[in-house]
Amino acid sequence: MTMRWSREAVIGAALASAYLLFTAVFWAYPFFWLAKLSVTQWRFFDEPVFTGARNLLLTVQDPQFLQALWNVVRFLGFYLPIAFGGALIVAFGLQHVGRGKAFVALCFLLSNVSSGVALSLVFAKVFSSTGPLNAMLFELAGVRVPWTNDPTLALLAIALVVAWKFVGYYGLILYSGLLAIPKEIYDAARLDHAGPWTRLMRITLPMMNPQLMMVLTFAILVSFGLFTEPFIITGGGPSDSTSTPQMMIYETAFRRLQPSHAAMMSILVALVTYALVQLARRLFERKVVLA
Amino acid sequence: MKAFLSKRTPGGWAATIAIYALALSWLYPFAWMVAASLKPAAQIYNTGLFEGDFTLDNFAFLFATADKLDRPFLGALGVSAVVTLTVTASVLLTSAFIAFALARMRFPGRKLFGDFLLLQMVIPTSMFILPLFVLVKQMGLLNTLGALILPSMMSGWGIYMMSQSFRTMPEEYFDAARLDRASLWQTVTKIVVPLNKSIIAIVALFTFTGTWDNFLWPLIAISDTDRMPLSVLLATFSKQYGGYAGPVMAGAVLQTLPLVLLFLLFRRHFLQGMSLSLK
Repeated sequence: MTMRWSREAVIGAALASAYLLFTAVFWAYPFFWLAKLSVTQWRFFDEPVFTGARNLLLTVQDPQFLQALWNVVRFLGFYLPIAFGGALIVAFGLQHVGRGKAFVALCFLLSNVSSGVALSLVFAKVFSSTGPLNAMLFELAGVRVPWTNDPTLALLAIALVVAWKFVGYYGLILYSGLLAIPKEIYDAARLDHAGPWTRLMRITLPMMNPQLMMVLTFAILVSFGLFTEPFIITGGGPSDSTSTPQMMIYETAFRRLQPSHAAMMSILVALVTYALVQLARRLFERKVVLA
Repeated sequence: MKAFLSKRTPGGWAATIAIYALALSWLYPFAWMVAASLKPAAQIYNTGLFEGDFTLDNFAFLFATADKLDRPFLGALGVSAVVTLTVTASVLLTSAFIAFALARMRFPGRKLFGDFLLLQMVIPTSMFILPLFVLVKQMGLLNTLGALILPSMMSGWGIYMMSQSFRTMPEEYFDAARLDRASLWQTVTKIVVPLNKSIIAIVALFTFTGTWDNFLWPLIAISDTDRMPLSVLLATFSKQYGGYAGPVMAGAVLQTLPLVLLFLLFRRHFLQGMSLSLK
């Protein structure tokens, strides 16, 4: 080749290559190992032995793994209503308060940028049978709720903690959608005597579809990636009711020393996550067109 | 709804008060954490939030006594600091230059490079924990700080975020830089960085927080207590000595404090970077 590269092209390509080199080592090579592990039998020390679809068959029949995937669905059942409800309140709240916007936004965002490990430890105490939440409930209603001993309540507790962490961030996303809705649409609706409920359901929510979809996608990704909160607050219990796919992968690879099995789980979890995100988009995504 | 919520009506006032109350209640776990870290063990669960005999004993325990239980918290704080600062500095430096190349320089394969970054971001990183362990083991880096630092030295997300912001800068700045024969280093540090502070602050904040609070990866890669970062040491301490609620909460305060301070320090850039018109 006699083509001469300009100085700019050489520097640009060199910078891009630096990243590609890094990616080849810490991204592509692990990717290759994951694929290899998923079709072999390996125990960290011996030579990998090709076993074909055996890992796949083992994994899809593993009741604990299936339970962990099902737990994500149960988790979404609690998490989505709480997260969307909370985020909408934050978004409308920000629109409403005017002067104190920055302060309100910072209060809700602090949970998002602070430590998941530390706050999980805090919530483990807050939800404990003698913790402050139960003390408060006992004083108000005379009941003590066994937050971490009941399979459904334990999952609800985790959903509340994760929602507490992300509602501010989701709320900001929705708020940016609210800001983008032209005021003229509301004026026209008022001329047509559209009530507040009609305006919310027919204008506000449909116009916010891109932001609502973004929040839904993030919520699904967060749910399949759960590890720290259940690991610290419930340890997966009671009787695996709060164990998550990430916890299963960790347990299988590093406690039971079956990395091949765990590699298959990682791949399946990624595929299920992707499928669910695509399904959600098919079902709920609308193009917002302003005529 | 607008009329009902507008500020002059009593309903509007009630809504404003409710939102402020809710925002403040979001801070309750932080308040409880700080209060519990300052109380003697016997008072943590049975006193009001601001009641009790406040003392620094729990922090003293963490730094003096926990050492004898093979839980060196001072060392863990050092490990967390070294790892987090190195990773954040490296990500910022590499992201700024590579993002500048992607956004502003013409070179063959540029578009392909941008598409590749997008593809990478779609694939969840949690998938890579296990094979990354295999790689780090092969490199002989298990149980070293290198295991915590090297795999995070560059960030595709950081490059992408910065390049999106660099792209919107007017071309005139770069014409002027070319006329002055500014070097690449000068162009990036003197022109690009000062004009894109918000996005750089966001990448810095999320990288710092993500590294400082990373839990699963160091849990796997580090097994010696004297090389554990604070997040992992704290969790294992809590698992084994759960009865010591006071010291655990003191540790939680230490783990949270740098993140909260950093967030408050960068709050303006942060809100601006999230493209909000908060006035």
